[in-house]
Amino acid sequence: MSALLKAEGLVRRYEMRRGWFGRPVEVRALDGVSLTLEHGRTLGLVGESGCGKSTTGRLVLGLETPDEGRVTFEEQPLPAPGTAEWRRLRSRMQMVYQDPLGAMDRRLSIGAQVAEPWKIHGRQTSPEQVAALLRSVGLRPDHAAHYPHELSGGQRQRAVLARALATDPALLVCDEPISALDVSIQAQVMNLLSEIQAERGVALLFISHDLRAVRQMSHRVAVMYLGRIVEEGEPDAVLHDPAHPYARALVSAIPHPQRRGRRIVLQGDPPNPAARPAGCAFHPRCPVASARCAAEIPVLKPRADGRLVACHVAHGEIPAGSGLPAPTLAKAA
Amino acid sequence: MVEPLVAIRGLSVSFDGLPALRGVDLTVGRGEAVALVGESGCGKSVTWLAALGLLPAKARVSGSVTLEGTELIGAPPAVLDRVRGGRIAMIFQDPASSLNPVHRIGRQIAEALRLHRGLDGRAAREEARRLLDQVGMPDARRRLDAFPHELSGGQNQRVMIAMALAGRPEMLVADEPTTALDVTIQAQILELLAEIRRDTGMALVLVSHDLGVVAETCERVCVMYAGRIVEETAADKLFTGPAHPYAQGLLAALPPMTGPRRPLAAIPGGVPEPWAMPRGCAFAPRCPRRAEACEAAPPPLAEVAPAHRAACLYPGAAAVVSPVPAMVPA
Repeated sequence: MSALLKAEGLVRRYEMRRGWFGRPVEVRALDGVSLTLEHGRTLGLVGESGCGKSTTGRLVLGLETPDEGRVTFEEQPLPAPGTAEWRRLRSRMQMVYQDPLGAMDRRLSIGAQVAEPWKIHGRQTSPEQVAALLRSVGLRPDHAAHYPHELSGGQRQRAVLARALATDPALLVCDEPISALDVSIQAQVMNLLSEIQAERGVALLFISHDLRAVRQMSHRVAVMYLGRIVEEGEPDAVLHDPAHPYARALVSAIPHPQRRGRRIVLQGDPPNPAARPAGCAFHPRCPVASARCAAEIPVLKPRADGRLVACHVAHGEIPAGSGLPAPTLAKAA
Repeated sequence: MVEPLVAIRGLSVSFDGLPALRGVDLTVGRGEAVALVGESGCGKSVTWLAALGLLPAKARVSGSVTLEGTELIGAPPAVLDRVRGGRIAMIFQDPASSLNPVHRIGRQIAEALRLHRGLDGRAAREEARRLLDQVGMPDARRRLDAFPHELSGGQNQRVMIAMALAGRPEMLVADEPTTALDVTIQAQILELLAEIRRDTGMALVLVSHDLGVVAETCERVCVMYAGRIVEETAADKLFTGPAHPYAQGLLAALPPMTGPRRPLAAIPGGVPEPWAMPRGCAFAPRCPRRAEACEAAPPPLAEVAPAHRAACLYPGAAAVVSPVPAMVPA
């Protein structure tokens, strides 16, 4: 199958000032991310806050331009943001955010919001089309007359989905689409996304910190740490037998009703992208790091079984160390 | 039976005539770890805000909350001031908004020490440093002079826990303490709470929406729905044999980590709005085992097995067939 979306070596830097007179510091939100998404498939992006998963979503939609690297969509390079060409393309790729209320205009009725993409892209609309669209996401046609505050959280997220689906996109970037919802509603929305994918063949970039949700939704999963993909593969392979020490800690941190045993508790905090450790960015928290990890950035490359991993130890290039002392911590503070 | 540390009886709360809590009975023993789980708006936080007199004046509170025999509902401020932070401490979801952004954290911890232990000056600072050490803050002495914005979310939550421990409370109410944190940091904080319980014998009430977090941290779990406790049992029992259809539904809706991936068994519909509360069981409109009797009156929390209570007329295994006679040909 041909790739719908391809991103190669995406780098995104921001400048940040510390204090009013501080010198600008370069923050690398993304540091060379490549990914491929096929038609009708789902790629799950997991990682902690600040790892660059949302930035990746914004770059592949062209909401921001990468400082390095390129994005191709349906084998064409992504046009420059703001151009007429890009606007036309944007009807083929849509975004769903975490907070449905924040993503909607509170003063517009649901029907008007859902029909807005048609208006923007110069298409005719009829109340019947709006009704059909609302029904396809499990809302009632009479919800069209309601305002966002009159709907529950789950219904709002359905309305946001209806709006995203209006232009029949080939790609849906879902940035934490279920995190703001209650547990019983999360399952409803995940089921709905799967149904939509089965019916319309839309590809999903599913960004989440919830590994359970990612396993449920994804055909492939990529684990990110500090602006890089550190492991990528089939969800069950990655989640049952993670190869990268960070992925292992992440999987072991999933709260588990049946487990009462030990889990890997990582030391330290998620690192600050403004003070990126040298070498492998994970080495200050890594339980198996050794000297080479602090010096050389491991490359994301396939193992014998095809799984992509970026770790010197997981590739057997060096024996597992016992972690490094953290002198960089004091300097960063 | 030994007298419980905290006993809540018939606690009800309403805001502007709309019920938020509709009769909660709950006890917490000394040193026990109890969880309250449920979805947003089910009353799990309101229960403890009401118990500690932290609700706004417009809230109508009735029922009784006793701390070793002392009534807390309607108690004079002088009594409550000694209880809050001194005997029962509380921490919240977002540590950054619970801390004062313009004061150094050492001073904020020292304030709690002055109020509850009468410590001042050098002694307070030394004790604040010891507390930061106890909650696993690296480089505690220097962090005393840090402002909240200089610390990460996980470190701020550690500061909150240190402040909560300042009054040597007998019980800590942790309201979604890890919800705003990353999963690897959540693991650190849960480990810390367990460690503090081991060391101090403090009771812990964990308010959470996350069944997994609850399972690992607590011995007893109360599941709440629409302002009531619908099931109460030992944590491991809840996950192996829940009796209430809502608890069963919550567990079934959790995506599995193993096995084939199939559509999730989502609970249909949504939580009833407080102004449209069903007359009978609040869960009946979403319940697969709904029968006519469910709509008559809210079912009481009744024992289904020793130390296992559920508020359901037809409690039991998830596979139980509907008690409503199905339309079968005779």
